[in-house]
Amino acid sequence: MKIFKKCLLAGMAALALLGVAQVASAQETDQVGRAAYLDGVKGKKVIFVPISQGMDLNQAWVMVWQRHAARYGFTLEVRDPNGDTNAGIRAMQGAIAEKPDLIIVQNPDVQTYARLLKQAQAAGIKVLQVNMQSATQTDSYVGNDWIEMGRLEMGELAKHCTGPNAVSHKVVWLAGVQTGAANIYMRTGIDEVLKANPELQLVSDQPADYISEKARQITETVLQQHPDLCGIMGIWDNAEVGAGAAVAAAGKQDQVTIVTNGAGAATGCESIKNGLLDVIFNFNAPIQGEIAAQQISELLQHPDRKAGSEKTIFFGPITRVDKTNATGRNCWKPEDIK
Amino acid sequence: MPGSGKSDDRRLGFKASQEVVVIAISVVLFLVFSATLNNFLSQGNIIAILKNVSILGTLAVGMGFVVVGRGIDLTMVAVMVVGVAFSIWISTWGIDFTLAVICGAILVAAIGLFTGVMVAIAEVPPIFATLAIASSVYGSGRIVFASDVLYAPPDIAWLKFVGNGSVLGIPMSVVIFGAVAALMGLFLRKTRFGRLVYATGDNPNAARTTGLPTRPIIVTQYVISALIAFTAGIIMTGLVTGIDTRLYNSSLIYDVLLVVVLGGIGLSGGQGGVRNVIAGTILVGILTNGMTILNFSYTSQNLIKSVILLGALAIDAIINPRDEQTSQSGDI
Repeated sequence: MKIFKKCLLAGMAALALLGVAQVASAQETDQVGRAAYLDGVKGKKVIFVPISQGMDLNQAWVMVWQRHAARYGFTLEVRDPNGDTNAGIRAMQGAIAEKPDLIIVQNPDVQTYARLLKQAQAAGIKVLQVNMQSATQTDSYVGNDWIEMGRLEMGELAKHCTGPNAVSHKVVWLAGVQTGAANIYMRTGIDEVLKANPELQLVSDQPADYISEKARQITETVLQQHPDLCGIMGIWDNAEVGAGAAVAAAGKQDQVTIVTNGAGAATGCESIKNGLLDVIFNFNAPIQGEIAAQQISELLQHPDRKAGSEKTIFFGPITRVDKTNATGRNCWKPEDIK
Repeated sequence: MPGSGKSDDRRLGFKASQEVVVIAISVVLFLVFSATLNNFLSQGNIIAILKNVSILGTLAVGMGFVVVGRGIDLTMVAVMVVGVAFSIWISTWGIDFTLAVICGAILVAAIGLFTGVMVAIAEVPPIFATLAIASSVYGSGRIVFASDVLYAPPDIAWLKFVGNGSVLGIPMSVVIFGAVAALMGLFLRKTRFGRLVYATGDNPNAARTTGLPTRPIIVTQYVISALIAFTAGIIMTGLVTGIDTRLYNSSLIYDVLLVVVLGGIGLSGGQGGVRNVIAGTILVGILTNGMTILNFSYTSQNLIKSVILLGALAIDAIINPRDEQTSQSGDI
């Protein structure tokens, strides 16, 4: 009798469980719109033509995009011209010929790909530009507001190098590549600040080509000429460490403020801690990558929309990082993103 | 200056050799800048000029050594950046940095050995062999290191000394450049091996027929130039705390070659020496420094630089016209 009772109980329990399971499966409805989303992005082909994958920002973007692509079933191919403009043109031509669903491009300058981007749009390929724009506007741009970046950096120098307590009003702009979008637009922002602060004196305006040794040489020469220099602003933390080294060698770390921008990699924070840099306007490449990832999805979900018919711009975050906040998410390492 | 012997100048008959023309232009520029620019003549600025050309000059000493032997080494910049980047990369595994630098030097010497064997034994023309090897060395590095910019560990005392130290007020980078140049000058002028390099460069076939070990000589040249390139890379790492492998894509290797040719070491080999390299290096240094002070735009700097350099070559061509006696087979 006892056994019968136990069996009955077990049987009832099993039935109850089954019932619950049935109710659950009935409630397992799809998240609204998810099926359409998956359908939109799955199996699509995306090609990325960077300037060079050796840069920290590029590594962060591609890590984020690869994860996104793997999760939602589209492919991302990187065609790295490694800083060679001619190889970049060939990569773009090849990408257009393959007719992918989307081309992502980081322009080495505003002119080189301008016509190719028009061709791509005419061929019905959507184009997303990241961080470095071309003269041709396409479906979308995700990246920095470079005019604001120029304004922020020179504004930071204006804080230190104007007024009665400033060591002098002399500032330096260590440019990157003069035909690059970042350079051209930052210059506009810089000029606005210079106009608003007429006492600021721009004593040198030379391109360091994103190379630290060149930045060091220019800074060393300028420091000889202007020993009372007050501030230096640059365009990439990995290059301005050279300027920092020249200032440190001259023993003027307390006198000269060095401001630059960067992807927010831990190496930049190290440079702040080592005293080579004072302020980095951090554009957080992983977050920039996430914004671009959403833009990729958006563009893939609307295959019937004509390429180039709607133009969108997303400016990413900019955080001012100095030695008080050079920690945590302001200093990412590649292994943090994976 | 080392190696200022009178013996080996093939243009001894001409008083105004290319070297003299270059020195004269340097002196003129120096006087003009001194008269017109504030602080140009200051001790600090003169040291800055030397410091700013120390890497270029060191590389040019290595290149000059190869060119004297009628070769050319286009791998130097690739070897410099990849060798140092390799050292930094293996030091991130926890290997002591000094040991890592020694490992890097061994790798670099091995690359130089391979280049030398390709040129001397496989007899691939050096311009093609080194162009191809440069690209494969850089490419391999690019695959292994992932990042373009590699930072050296922060607390290496000797590396800091290379970057910021000085001896008797002269920065270490300049001291190292001077030491490399002096050693090379002595080596070329005073040792038997040095004389054999000239003989090989002057006429390789005659040298071999006479029984000189031309192949080992050529191999040694490439090993030494690779090690000199590595030294230049260490100077750079000391100065700016890291190495930027993208330098391979810059015009640096052509600047190095320019300094060598401008100073008067003919690409046909067998002539010139360290003095010529120093003359060329100093001209480029003065020019760049003056134009940076004047804040000339990038484009106008390049234009002025090329006009002056072209001018130096043109003056030389007028003063020392080439004819059957002065030109050699293999002259480019």
